[in-house]
Amino acid sequence: MSLLQIEKMTHYFGGLRAVHDYNLEIEPGQIRGLIGPNGAGKTTIFNLITGIYSPTEGRIHLEGKDLIGLQPHQVASLGLGRTFQNLRLWRHMTVLEHVMQARYSKLTYGVVGALLGTPKRYRQEAESERIAYELLDLVGVKHLADQVVINLPYGAQRRVEMARALAIEPKILFLDEPTAGMNLEELSQIMETIRRIHNEFDLTIFLIEHRMKFVMELCDVIQTLVFGEVIAEGTPEAIQNNPEVIDAYLGKEIET
Amino acid sequence: MEESITKPSTSRSTWVNRWQLFWGSFSGVPILGWLIGILGAVALEQLFGSAFAQLLGLSKVPVLFGFVIMLGHPRLIPGTLIYLLVIYALPIGIITQVGKSLTNKLAGYLLKFHLGISALVHIGLLFLVLHLWADISDYRDLVLRLTLIAIILTLSLNIVNGYLGEFSCSHPGFMALGAYAASVLTVLLFVEDKVFGSPLLAPNIGPFLFPIVLILAGLIAAIGALLVAIPSFRTRGDYLAIISLAFLFIVKSLIENLEIFGGSRGFMNQPNWANLSTVFVWTMLCIWTINNFVTSTMGKALNAVRDEETAANAMSVNTRRTKIIGFMFAAFWAGIAGGLFAHVMRYVNPGTFGIQKLAEVLAMVYFGGLNSVVGSIVGAVGFNLLSEALRPLELYKWIIIPLLLILVMLYRPSGLISFREFNIANLLKPKSTSDEEVEHVVTSD
Amino acid sequence: MTSFLQNLVNAMQWGSFYALIALGYSMVYGVLMLFNFAHGDIFMVGAYIGFFVSSGLIALSALGSLVLPSWLILSITILLAMFLTSFVGMLLERVGYRPLRSAPRASAAITGLMIGIILETGNLALLGAQRYKFPALIESTTYNLGGVFITNKKILIVFVSLLLMFALHQFVQRTKWGMAMRAMAYDYIVVPLMGVPINTIALLTFALGSALAAAAGILFGIAYPVLDPYMGILYGWKAFVAAILGGRGSIIGAALAGFLLGFIEIFVAAFISSTLRDLIAYSIILLILTFRPHGFFGEAYSARLRL
Repeated sequence: MSLLQIEKMTHYFGGLRAVHDYNLEIEPGQIRGLIGPNGAGKTTIFNLITGIYSPTEGRIHLEGKDLIGLQPHQVASLGLGRTFQNLRLWRHMTVLEHVMQARYSKLTYGVVGALLGTPKRYRQEAESERIAYELLDLVGVKHLADQVVINLPYGAQRRVEMARALAIEPKILFLDEPTAGMNLEELSQIMETIRRIHNEFDLTIFLIEHRMKFVMELCDVIQTLVFGEVIAEGTPEAIQNNPEVIDAYLGKEIET
Repeated sequence: MEESITKPSTSRSTWVNRWQLFWGSFSGVPILGWLIGILGAVALEQLFGSAFAQLLGLSKVPVLFGFVIMLGHPRLIPGTLIYLLVIYALPIGIITQVGKSLTNKLAGYLLKFHLGISALVHIGLLFLVLHLWADISDYRDLVLRLTLIAIILTLSLNIVNGYLGEFSCSHPGFMALGAYAASVLTVLLFVEDKVFGSPLLAPNIGPFLFPIVLILAGLIAAIGALLVAIPSFRTRGDYLAIISLAFLFIVKSLIENLEIFGGSRGFMNQPNWANLSTVFVWTMLCIWTINNFVTSTMGKALNAVRDEETAANAMSVNTRRTKIIGFMFAAFWAGIAGGLFAHVMRYVNPGTFGIQKLAEVLAMVYFGGLNSVVGSIVGAVGFNLLSEALRPLELYKWIIIPLLLILVMLYRPSGLISFREFNIANLLKPKSTSDEEVEHVVTSD
Repeated sequence: MTSFLQNLVNAMQWGSFYALIALGYSMVYGVLMLFNFAHGDIFMVGAYIGFFVSSGLIALSALGSLVLPSWLILSITILLAMFLTSFVGMLLERVGYRPLRSAPRASAAITGLMIGIILETGNLALLGAQRYKFPALIESTTYNLGGVFITNKKILIVFVSLLLMFALHQFVQRTKWGMAMRAMAYDYIVVPLMGVPINTIALLTFALGSALAAAAGILFGIAYPVLDPYMGILYGWKAFVAAILGGRGSIIGAALAGFLLGFIEIFVAAFISSTLRDLIAYSIILLILTFRPHGFFGEAYSARLRL
């Protein structure tokens, strides 16, 4: 059975059709890519799957569990971690606190434990902290753990978001333009980091990206979205040679 | 320091140097040392204060560090200053200095033994100090109890306005709910009353059940908070501020219309159970639970919701639950503060819980600092002491205090001590002028 | 039916005060995204300024040095008090709010609250505790229209209020400055970058709002002559709720909400019980906000008091 399965998902904003008849099947361990011109509806698809919007029609299943109608935090605790295209960090919190916060659903000490400071609370928080440090180490920002996140450079903030998404122990990780705003050097570093994450946890990854080189090198299967509809799906080679994709999207990129 | 080395001859820098040396010798005094020092001073005042005050020509012991006397009667300033010097400054200075090495060792030993025990010892000493200090006059006792209640109120409002980042105006309403619930319960159950008739339970068990009454009062306030918390799912910020304000007016008006509770005339006859030790214990409980809460991931979820709600939700934080917990927990403590307040004043009326109270609580929270337990304590204590100390200025007090707060807002827009939490172990640890000693005490095990 | 009409007339007058005060709150809120908690006290200051201006004019008339007809005294009082109070508003903006423009909005709200307390206490300190009685500027006449009693004061109050609201609406819709204000209300961040002088607009907004509050204060003094340093708290906070209920920066919304509040209060007092007035009024407001969380004319805009 595939890990994530989406059938015939359609979504309207008012009268505007943002996503039409979208289907997706992700197998465990894959790195999948979603490309398409601006405004094609890529982030909308992420938001639909993660529960921020509820699709007008269609079915979404994660390991056979229906995700439709669930709150984003419920979807997240079922094992769906994500990052955001425009960073969404908590401006007054430290890097470490960010990662520990994402373990919210894993903590079982409850309100009473929090208020009374039971041993269970301290045990779980310590465990949380240990995992958080490991994840920060993995994405390469461990040395910044005590920094308040708004003081960090952009690249580091992106890494914090990744560590935070990993802390919910995702079965599948959604990355929304992980390289946005990065220079070439940072690009290769972040690619290396994503590979490392993938290998470490044998983690399934689904990513939106604009930089073709990046997508082509990293992904096993790529979907191309234009005006809310998938016009092509296949291996990087197949996508690169698909005339429709070149017409709609890639042509311009390759020439420049 | 460097300046004084290069120019040792100038008398000014020598004085600065001496001053630094003088203060430097106090930086090595642990909290434990200070507490013991103050305890000495307070004990001295208890024994000889009144006689010494008469010797200096003061009619009685200066109750609030002489502020009231000095502002009211400038003639008595020298006497008051001498009193403060002899009764407070000298004993504290001497005891802290003499006992420095001993208290440092003791603090280190306690901390190594058990953090909780160490905290309890410190709190016990603090209580002893406050108790002895307040024992001298009823006025001190009252001010102290009201200040402690203000700490509970400020801390609890900080949960919503600071940690959760909403501008809630309903806090006096929660306080009113708690005050009335507790008052009605104690009067109905334990007091002979014109309206409620003879007590339903034996009055002598009342003091033992008073904690339960207070908890019930807190719970009632917390249930009331649902009326504000649930709209907060859909709307935040400005409109929630209005909703909370409307809630405050509704509660106030509701009580005014409940003739059985005295309506706008108020409600009295509460038993005198909120003595200093009761209020102190509840305040410590409040600080303890709130500090536990806001340092846990569960409590930091409030910050996550405040700073970026979408991200919090996507990172598995149950945002609705978080908001409900935040509002209800804050209201719970506001309710308890209200219950204690009613039993300190032994009279409440709905007029107490209006806009003035709101302005006062907001002032304490923003004065002390958002998102900080220490900030709230500093805010509440500072505001209350200031408000009492400036009492001789009468009307002008209400020009000076607002001006001060405006200055704070101008230079520190989120309050004096904001976004900072205290670490209990750090606070209670022994201090020493030479760093290696500290290292030795802390790391040796 | 006559009692209904009678109460309608009373409600029109009562609502006028709320509407005029609410406009000042609403403009500041719309243009600068600020809760000006001192606005209720500007209303109080306006009433007192009106008191001194009119008393002065009457005293001059009595001395015979400057004999003016009473309608002229009334007009001069209103206009002069509006003019003078607008400076109080501008001073408030310049001293209290401008330094905090980049600070968290909650801090500015607290500052406003404190300035309000200073204004109240300052009044008490300067003028003492005795209550001042607003001079009777017009001879009261009562008309009986089929059992409904209407005084010329009520007509005057409602007429002047509506006139001022209309004038404000025209100003905001028709003039260059009004357009700049609307633009600011539309986008607080970007519009100042496009050459709209934010400081001038802020001063203008405060001046207009304060002038309207002063007018409300004088009209209030005409209807209820006893002045009180705390009258701003009593009516200002209710008008504030009305302003937000109207929707962010909506002039028509604020005016309508002000009148609505007046109607609710008068009708509850008349037909149910005056003690239940606040309870029912605020319950209705709470209900409205639960179903229309952004007020009557506010767009779904999640404004936040950022920290």
